[in-house]
Amino acid sequence: MILIHCPYCDQTLPELEFAYAGEGHIARPTDPSALSDEDWERYLFIRDNPRGRHHERWRHIHGCGRFFNAVRDTVTDKFEMTYKAGEPRQ
Amino acid sequence: MADAAIRTAPVPAEPARFDGVTISLGLPLARWSLRGRNPQELGNALGLPVPGRIGETAGGMACLGPDEWLLRLPEGSIIPMGEGQPLSVVDISDRAITLIVEGDRALDVLSSGCPRDLSKLAVGEARRTVYETVEIVLIREGETRYAVEVWRSFAPWLHLALVTAASHLPE
Repeated sequence: MILIHCPYCDQTLPELEFAYAGEGHIARPTDPSALSDEDWERYLFIRDNPRGRHHERWRHIHGCGRFFNAVRDTVTDKFEMTYKAGEPRQ
Repeated sequence: MADAAIRTAPVPAEPARFDGVTISLGLPLARWSLRGRNPQELGNALGLPVPGRIGETAGGMACLGPDEWLLRLPEGSIIPMGEGQPLSVVDISDRAITLIVEGDRALDVLSSGCPRDLSKLAVGEARRTVYETVEIVLIREGETRYAVEVWRSFAPWLHLALVTAASHLPE
């Protein structure tokens, strides 16, 4: 089983307590009504889907309940690191 | 007609006894879900000690997340509701029931379905986790005594699963 480090609990715990929550660092537009349809589409649907190092959001849903960011390799499924939500992109 | 409002427990009242472990229904409790950004503020509003680190417990209050606490007190207890303050105090007394898993093999029974390493759970520690697919709050109340907080509607399944695990413990 994959073990994931929760930066809030500061414990390394089994993945069954966690839920994947999409790509990380997708900033919500500050003025959505000013966006063109293409920009809005890009914000809602267009994601990177890289092969390799991927920044993503996870939630410790069956634990402390908090969202946090992680860097995971999409080829090896290895977690490089996790850090709290709101911290700069690593 | 008032009788119609009386809740019955969703699991047998009679404890299930096995060699090394007993699974029983805990006493009804008053429960609150507490949310707030600042533990100090919450403590002042309630007049209760608030544990600051996730997993810690103090006086019936368990810290489940960085801004979330579960308070369990004897049935009928009343606490201030923190009116006018940036806090959330929600009565969830009837949402969950408590199953008590007690005995030398209690750890083996709980480990049968919980992915955490429960041997690292210290006495007095409380953690939200899962048993198979059911979310629970696990509180280690004593060396061999665990309280399992489970949502009422999941309780019959969890009770059956724990009893089944207890009846199939390897030697």
